[in-house]
Amino acid sequence: MLKESVINELQRIVGKENVLTSPEALKAYSYDGTTSWIREPDVVVFPTTTQQISDLMKLANAEKIPVTPRGGGTNVSGGSVPWLGGIVLCTTKMNKILKIDKENLTATVEPGVVLQDLTLALAKEGLFFPPDPQSFLGATIGGIIAENAGGPACVKYGVTKQYVLGLEVVLPTGEIVNLGGRTLKNVVGYDLLHIFISSEGTLGVITRAELKLNPIPPAKKTTMVVYADVAKAGEGVFRVLENGVIPDKIELLDNWVINRIEEMMPMGLPKDADAVLLFECDGIPEAVEKETEKIVDIVKKYGAVDVRIAKDMDEANRYWLARRAGFAAVFGKAKTVFAEDVTVPRGKIPDLINKCKELAKKYNVEIVVLGHAGDGNLHPAILTDVSNQEHYGRAVKAMDEIIEEAVALGGVLSGEHGIGLEKQKFLKRQLDPVVIDMMKKIKALFDPNNIMNPGKIWE
Amino acid sequence: MEDLKELKKVEQHADQCMKCGFCSFFCPVYQEEKVETAVARGKNYLAKLAIKGEQKFTDELGEIIGKCLLCKRCVVNCPAKTQIDRVVVAARAEMVKNKGLGFVKNFAFRKVMANRKAFGNYVRLAKAFQWLLPKTEGNIRHLPDFLKALGQGRNIPEIAKTFLRDMVKPVYKPQDGKAPIMRVGFFMGCAVDFVYPELGMKFIDFMTKRGIEVVVPQEQSCCGAAIYFSGDFETGRMLADKNIEAFKDVDMIVTGCGTCSSTLKDYQKYLPDNPDQEKRYKDFEKKIKDSMEFIIDVMKVKPEELKLKKEFEGKTVTWHDPCHLIRYQNISAQPRAILKGLKGLKYVEMPNADLCCGMGGSFSVYHYDLTKKIAAKKMNGIKATGADIVVTACPGCMINLIDNVLQNKMPQKVYHLLELVE
Ligand SMILES: Cc1cc2nc3c(=O)[nH]c(=O)nc-3n(C[C@H](O)[C@H](O)[C@H](O)COP(=O)(O)OP(=O)(O)OC[C@H]3O[C@@H](n4cnc5c(N)ncnc54)[C@H](O)[C@@H]3O)c2cc1C
Ligand code: SF4
Ligand code: SF4
Repeated sequence: MLKESVINELQRIVGKENVLTSPEALKAYSYDGTTSWIREPDVVVFPTTTQQISDLMKLANAEKIPVTPRGGGTNVSGGSVPWLGGIVLCTTKMNKILKIDKENLTATVEPGVVLQDLTLALAKEGLFFPPDPQSFLGATIGGIIAENAGGPACVKYGVTKQYVLGLEVVLPTGEIVNLGGRTLKNVVGYDLLHIFISSEGTLGVITRAELKLNPIPPAKKTTMVVYADVAKAGEGVFRVLENGVIPDKIELLDNWVINRIEEMMPMGLPKDADAVLLFECDGIPEAVEKETEKIVDIVKKYGAVDVRIAKDMDEANRYWLARRAGFAAVFGKAKTVFAEDVTVPRGKIPDLINKCKELAKKYNVEIVVLGHAGDGNLHPAILTDVSNQEHYGRAVKAMDEIIEEAVALGGVLSGEHGIGLEKQKFLKRQLDPVVIDMMKKIKALFDPNNIMNPGKIWE
Repeated sequence: MEDLKELKKVEQHADQCMKCGFCSFFCPVYQEEKVETAVARGKNYLAKLAIKGEQKFTDELGEIIGKCLLCKRCVVNCPAKTQIDRVVVAARAEMVKNKGLGFVKNFAFRKVMANRKAFGNYVRLAKAFQWLLPKTEGNIRHLPDFLKALGQGRNIPEIAKTFLRDMVKPVYKPQDGKAPIMRVGFFMGCAVDFVYPELGMKFIDFMTKRGIEVVVPQEQSCCGAAIYFSGDFETGRMLADKNIEAFKDVDMIVTGCGTCSSTLKDYQKYLPDNPDQEKRYKDFEKKIKDSMEFIIDVMKVKPEELKLKKEFEGKTVTWHDPCHLIRYQNISAQPRAILKGLKGLKYVEMPNADLCCGMGGSFSVYHYDLTKKIAAKKMNGIKATGADIVVTACPGCMINLIDNVLQNKMPQKVYHLLELVE
């Protein structure tokens, strides 16, 4: 419980209408996109300016009240759950696109801008922001930067950190700082800008971002490749890349996911395929044609059983819609789902897939794979039910072993979702104690009173 | 006692939500308010807590679940196909059970009775409703929402001098004097009955001109949208039973009101409390046709053969999709086919034609300011088309569109599609 004087002060800073304290509102800010991490804040505030955030942080710092930044609340690692209570600082009312600069291919935005709103505004100017987390309908730029999000298009374009040129940040102590700038190159002292990208809201509040944009490529083409063996599909990924084609997307759906999607909304996916890969090439029309041809040659050489090139946008859209439905397909089928986010070097994809199959047998649990195969971010998902202790226990063991295997293969335990609360217990397996200690010292430097999204990343 | 019967019926729907937050992009209320309690995910979460007994039926909860247009934009865009409308309506029903009818009634009284002009109209309307509602509950316990919205500074439609019910004959034979090619029941709906009676006459004329016999049972009542969507299932069921009885002699029932057609079809979805009711409501659903689907799919009218009324010749027209047509009944192609096919009209599609107009039944009574903000987006779409006339097929939407067109000093006129044709 916060003191009444604190609530009054918050109301003074952001305005009465921007402070929520009803029990119902607090419950509605107790969750994010995960199933099991729930904790209520004491108050929810909606600042509308950087100055308000600065004033608010000074107050919180003086009173040692935890502050958890929240954008769309779509993260899947417990990141925006106020684990130690206190203040949820919600950015959804700071959602202005301040500037779109066609000459310099940049945009200046407030943190609460929802990615899809940005995409629509940019499209009018013939531009796009390449990172494409599949939660674009709900995720905000602040959350996307804080999680260093990335989606299918990262095969060719990379992830968020490659598209942030500058940030305005309010530090936990209330100072407003500007990091980076508006130029593509920038070597002026340590690169503090990038410390905030994937900081999961633990170092400060991002209040404005300068983003790098690309012109929309004039042509796109989607190809669906069918495999009788999911591990072969995994191989298809790196064969295409090593033979010189860089599609903008390569996504994988396994047999289980294909069939669930077809049950939900029949789209003509091959139900008996063990897996399909979806490729998309983008660029100038001639190049896209050639690249597509080349993909067809390569995949046929390496074990594909069927190839379908989408005839038109409609067919292409259907395939991508199916891909997006994959997530729902998995979550709709089980009470509890471990949506794994392990990522391995691309050449190791078949090994990880084979391991998943083996573990599914060993522990007698359903493990399905749908993911951004193009970047090794496979999203194996384990279907279980937390109320069935015996089954849940087996699922936990299987997940542990998947993570173990991913790290052994030279991979990482989170490709895009972040550590938050969900992955804390695995952090030590991945990181050297010295590195964890360095991180903790950096945290203490920015946030001496440990008020910024406390309880995250470390156990 | 909190038996939570209604909420438990929809528990499986509430459980579908995987909290992805995608609905926030589509929810007109969230887009204005930007708070989690406004969006489907938040409402659903609180409903789930209520099912578990961890959330009481507080006034605040009533406010939260009240702030929903039931526009179903969240539902059709939800990757998990979560049926939030059912969860919200069930939660409102629990609210009514827990708080008594005061939850619904207070509003009608507080907002409407303060206005003298509104009151005058109410007295007339109350008379019309007298036969419908149990005396002990008061005659004006429930009135259709568009009428409750009177007296909030909005441009309200005139209440008709003569209600449709007082004009219609029980049976209309085909005009050509031949044996009817089919026989249908005509469901008036309150908006047509009390505000747009000429529209009702028009539709009857349209059908009888084309060889159809139309019967208009006098015992029919309000469809119940305003009533059961605000959670009063008891009265909702009473109305359902009354309507089913009134139309028992016909196999097909048509109406010119998109909300009525959807509401009549959906008794089976929201209201059944036992297998017998479920069966009766399901059978009833099969009889219902909205005017748009009736004209195109049943009468098989060829749009190019329809004759445009003179006054509309050369006009540019755009179509507004009522939530109750496009998302409740999947009706969107039929009206477009008519408008595109009609000779002498120029059709332009408006951006976001499917965006809710902001009316949302009782929503606009409780939250008129929000209604105006949501409608402003609709108005932007209409402006972008440069159309002379906006056409739709739901009198509820018409009332709100007219109000907002006037408030925004826009030149467009709003019509029901049936008004355009001879
Ligand atoms: C269906 C679904 C699909 C997804 N697909 C992808 C995907 O393809 N790729 C991917 O990378 N992720 C994906 N995600 C995860 C999630 O959408 C991303 O992590 C997203 O970036 C979160 O954005 P948000 O605005 O919802 O942030 P939130 O969930 O609100 O917050 C996420 C973190 O960012 C912090 N934060 C938020 N705003 C700020 C700010 N202004 N300043 C500082 N810190 C802040 C929070 O404290 C929290 O730690 C998916 C999630 C779902 C539910
Ligand atoms: S879109 Fe559907 S599943 Fe996602 S949060 Fe909304 S209701 Fe839940
Ligand atoms: S029905 Fe409409 S108003 Fe209600 S939650 Fe869904 S999108 Fe929002």
